[in-house]
Amino acid sequence: MSDHLLQIDQLCVHIGDQPVIENLSLDLKRGETLVLAGESGSGKSLTALSVARLLPAAAQIRAGRITLGDTALFNLAEREMTKVRGARIGYIFQEPQLALNPVMTVGDQIGEVLGCHLKLRGKARQQRVIEALAAVGIPDPERRAGEYPHQFSGGMKQRVMIAIALAGEPELLIADEPTTALDVTVQAQVLALLKAEQQRRGMGMLFITHDLGVAWQVADHLAVMQAGRVVENAPRDRFYAAPEHPYSRTLFAALPKLEPQAHTAPVVHDQPLLEVRNLAVHFPIRQGLFKRTVASVKAVNGVSFTLQAGETLAIVGESGSGKTTMGRGILRLLDLTDGQVLHRGDDLRQLSSEALRIRRRELQMIFQDPFAAMNPRMLVNEILQEGMLAQGIGGSAAQRDARVRELLVQVGLKAEHGLRYPHEFSGGQRQRLCIARALAVEPRMVVCDEPTSALDVSVQAQILELLEELQQRLGIAYLFITHNLGVVARIAHRVAVMHQGVIVEQGPVNQVLFAPRHPYTQALLAAVPRIDA
Amino acid sequence: MPTPLLLLSDLAAWLLFLVTLAYACTASRREHLRAPWRRVRQQPVAMVAAVVLLAHVGITLLDSLHFAPQAANGTEAEPEPLSALDFVLTPLRTGVETSYSAPFALLGFDRESVLQADGRVVREYPRLRYGGAHLRDPAQRGPDILQRGAIGAGAGALAGWFLLRLLWPAQCRLWRQRKDDPAGRAAALTLLLLCVLAGLGGALATRYHVFGTDKVGMDVLYQSVKSVRTGVLIGTLTTLVTLPLALVLGVAAGYYRGRIDDLVQYGYTTLASIPGVLLVAASALLLDGVMTRHEDDFSSLIVRADLRLLALCVILGITSWTGLCRLLRAEALKLRESDFVRAAEALGVRGPRILWRHLLPNVMHIVIIATVLDFSGLVLAEAALTYINIGVDPGMESWGNMINAARMELARQPAVWWSLSAAMLWMFVLVLAANLFADAVREAFDPRTREATPSARPAGT
Amino acid sequence: MMGYFVRRLLYAIPILLGVNVLTFALFFLVNTPDDMARMQLGERRLTPAAIEQWKVEHGYHRPVFWNAAQTGVTQLTDTLFFDSTTRLFRFDFGKSDAGRDINADIAERMGPSLAIAVPVLLVGLACALTWALTIAWLAGTRLDFWSGVLCVAMMSISGLFYIIGGQWLLAKLWHLAPISGYADGLASLRFILLPVVVSVLASLGGSVRWYRALFLEELSKDYVRMARAKGLSDARVMFGHVFRNALIPILTGVVVLIPSLFLGALITEAFFAIPGLGSYTIEALQAQDFAVVRAMVFLGSLLYIAGLMLTDLSYLIADPRVRLE
Repeated sequence: MSDHLLQIDQLCVHIGDQPVIENLSLDLKRGETLVLAGESGSGKSLTALSVARLLPAAAQIRAGRITLGDTALFNLAEREMTKVRGARIGYIFQEPQLALNPVMTVGDQIGEVLGCHLKLRGKARQQRVIEALAAVGIPDPERRAGEYPHQFSGGMKQRVMIAIALAGEPELLIADEPTTALDVTVQAQVLALLKAEQQRRGMGMLFITHDLGVAWQVADHLAVMQAGRVVENAPRDRFYAAPEHPYSRTLFAALPKLEPQAHTAPVVHDQPLLEVRNLAVHFPIRQGLFKRTVASVKAVNGVSFTLQAGETLAIVGESGSGKTTMGRGILRLLDLTDGQVLHRGDDLRQLSSEALRIRRRELQMIFQDPFAAMNPRMLVNEILQEGMLAQGIGGSAAQRDARVRELLVQVGLKAEHGLRYPHEFSGGQRQRLCIARALAVEPRMVVCDEPTSALDVSVQAQILELLEELQQRLGIAYLFITHNLGVVARIAHRVAVMHQGVIVEQGPVNQVLFAPRHPYTQALLAAVPRIDA
Repeated sequence: MPTPLLLLSDLAAWLLFLVTLAYACTASRREHLRAPWRRVRQQPVAMVAAVVLLAHVGITLLDSLHFAPQAANGTEAEPEPLSALDFVLTPLRTGVETSYSAPFALLGFDRESVLQADGRVVREYPRLRYGGAHLRDPAQRGPDILQRGAIGAGAGALAGWFLLRLLWPAQCRLWRQRKDDPAGRAAALTLLLLCVLAGLGGALATRYHVFGTDKVGMDVLYQSVKSVRTGVLIGTLTTLVTLPLALVLGVAAGYYRGRIDDLVQYGYTTLASIPGVLLVAASALLLDGVMTRHEDDFSSLIVRADLRLLALCVILGITSWTGLCRLLRAEALKLRESDFVRAAEALGVRGPRILWRHLLPNVMHIVIIATVLDFSGLVLAEAALTYINIGVDPGMESWGNMINAARMELARQPAVWWSLSAAMLWMFVLVLAANLFADAVREAFDPRTREATPSARPAGT
Repeated sequence: MMGYFVRRLLYAIPILLGVNVLTFALFFLVNTPDDMARMQLGERRLTPAAIEQWKVEHGYHRPVFWNAAQTGVTQLTDTLFFDSTTRLFRFDFGKSDAGRDINADIAERMGPSLAIAVPVLLVGLACALTWALTIAWLAGTRLDFWSGVLCVAMMSISGLFYIIGGQWLLAKLWHLAPISGYADGLASLRFILLPVVVSVLASLGGSVRWYRALFLEELSKDYVRMARAKGLSDARVMFGHVFRNALIPILTGVVVLIPSLFLGALITEAFFAIPGLGSYTIEALQAQDFAVVRAMVFLGSLLYIAGLMLTDLSYLIADPRVRLE
């Protein structure tokens, strides 16, 4: 049996007339992990789908060969290919939420593979299902086999996916961004699980990711893709020691590094710009005949901190920590159950709705998803002017137009971009537009809710640069909500760590990140995939 | 000199037409509206349907220009107001026989007592007064039809050709140069076909009863063409009532929630739980009572029938806004959670402005889809409602009335089938065109089937 | 969950009240009790005394909503509205304006309505699902295209044409079934054949298109791609995964119709002279028999609300995401 498990030879894939994969050649040996790294649009997912011949209808394979072991995959009829999928190729998708059938029990979904490929039935099958669940670390597998996907947490769902992919005992495991949607701590566990299973079964793994830190953890070889081509292919150590291709270098440079960085400390005033005392946001759980509130989901449960003018306070936490809820609560975009939010000394909770509306000018927000954050049916011009109109500032129409042009240049776009629609811009450009929209009303504080999480790594760095520059020039304070510790190290002056609705630790960034005291912070830091080059 | 007479429904029809034109103008300037309509334009089936629909709209508008003709000297009775279409179809309108006659027949359908020249009374099939009256020799009917038909079709084709030249001067080499625009080609061909049919019809209908005559001798083709206006108006004017109600209430309920939402939900659940037919029937009876009490206020039968048509549209509108309202409320509930609405709130934009600027434009696609879809349903509903006497006035030409009257005729021996067939055929053509057009509109406007925007999303590729 | 249903029932009460108010308002705007009496008594026995007596017999001598002659609570309770509403909630529908016992009539006429509506639902569902599933499997082929054309054409034909055409073709020409009418017991089979066939055909086009769209939407979801990645055959993907998921919206859409089956299809019953509740309502409307109309409206609303609750229940049963919160 040859050492080569998977060989991709000059693969060309087109969507319509557009080439999306060009002359791609890769080689994977048994027992090894090849990481396919790149940003969105690079074609890495399509490559993986081509191997399993699961491309969407619009995509066509124009040329090339893919060989799995001794089998030329493109020569197989569809019927024969179904015998290869699942039995010889295991596939793990990115979003377990969407990839699992919501109306089938988890046990059935694993059992399907066993019945189809290993021809197991009845008790033997049930036994194997339970073993499979136990092997991926799901506690109480007998009971959980009869449960449905929505009853599992995100990390658990991904483990189930892994169990399904491994059930047919494949030779090749394809993992398409399996940890991107997971929290950092969960990610670490899942990566460890994948690596362990691979070793145990001697499988080859094709691992797709955009995160070079994750790639370090799992890769034996690394291939970097850009615009449908492989630009660099090297063993891991050599790659991380000295990346050759310029694109690889930009990817490296854009990585937020978890190192102590020098920050100019902002001026401390007597009265902080924002002071939050014992903030609480509870969502009631209603049950019973008269919808009595029996309990509450305590999303934010007593949070206190201050924010000085011109400084950046980062709020760090995983999903479910309550950070986003807190951010929206501070701006009173949702109702607060308890606590005070003192902005320049005035409690925002006590303000009348009209007074609050006027105060909003000074407290702005930037959202995570730049695609959803702008009305697709408004011109950029109108979007940027809306705040000015609502607040009654900006003067005449001509003056407002001039200000819009000025703002566009300020965020790094062109003045004539005002006459376009949001969908004509890329993700990074749209986020710049959102920043411009917030700047239009001249705020003193901006709540940034994961503004770079939905963007590519290279674009992330640019946005962070822009935000830093604006802070230096205009003296805006940021409440920066994120889960990415590398970003925190770069941009924040102080950081507060949130866990289950409370702040467990806060302080200057170099202290919290590099000498953490609270066990949760320590666990968080330990889980970050690091490059020990 | 005939004096123009403006019926209320005429006013509504022209108003709606102008509003649609205004929408077309604004749509052509806004990119996010232009793109989906352009997609519709590229579907051959949709374009064929659109041409057919436009033809029907044209007939409706022509039939919505009424004028009161001057009474001829010496007559006492005031003649009924006529429309421009009536004027065009004068030979059909005035060629009234005594009773039934089959399509293209020369003789009446039933035997009648005919007074012979020599004073005897014989029961025989009488020769029609207008249908085929120009033929001396009945055997000449076949060749005569063919000849007239050919001339008519030819004239129609020629007229069509000129019309196409007028509308698209650059596109006369349809077949060769416009291979890349199959939709445009299909539309042009359809227009040509319609002109040929019109020519054919025109040539033959002046001399024969193409679809026969009904019980009172009225030409069935005339009735069918006149019914177009009724059907189209019911399909479109109802939306004038439904739309504002459903839009305002649905979007407000979804955005503000709380009390307003409870009230709106209560409103549409209550209305929806009453079987629709009952509501329409009750309202129609109510209307009848009101109209009987004000009998003398109506200047003529046509005004009365007209008001009844409008009232029916209003009633249908009031009883059918619940479906659209529910859809809009659900969409508004979703939209209010989206980031761009939050951003507007964070900027301090006031509620009504958020509704107008952010929610309304983003639910428009549902409105358009629903409007176009409802059209065919309403046209079909009219026929059913007329059967149980809660539809349009019996004196008004409508397919429902034609079907209703013709139902019993099928039981006769031999059966009278042409009235029913004509009504069914016309209704089928209109509804089919509407359904096909609606399909294309739905596909073009549904955000899920829209092309992916050029993006840098990390998911997927 | 029990609390949920009790709450829904309680919520139904203001709706039924609202429905009743609307019915009363509409009806009494059309007719005064005097008019009603005149209609029912006929020309011969028309004297003021007879009118008054008729009104007392049927309870129309009281004011409709508000009795100014009384004091206190009785101003509200000694009215026609209050009286009939309380009776409606007790399902005591009383006597029709023509003198018949409404409850008995309803019980009698429910049978024929169900005898037609239930087969139409079941047969229609079976046919539409089979057709839609087959077509979804063959999506994109020529067969799919022509099937779509056929469906649109079938949708565009008026229901009346199916009825009239069916009556003429099958009954008059081919003598396969009687044109109209009804008989009790087993003999009814002859009489329901034509209405069922006609009704199923009339709704088939629209249903197939709707179900096909649902199936295709499921086919485009991620879990289908995952199922194929597991190496499952196309058949298994279709029946094991897609069908089960699509069934949820289909079933809930069908379940909401079940209560209204009792009312029957009004037009169908009228055309085929089926003595069901639908034709009962139509006849009452045409005769302006208010007592029957308000009873039928109440019943209809109640059944509609029952349909809504059944829909929620079926979601609870069919969709594990709702069941196991």
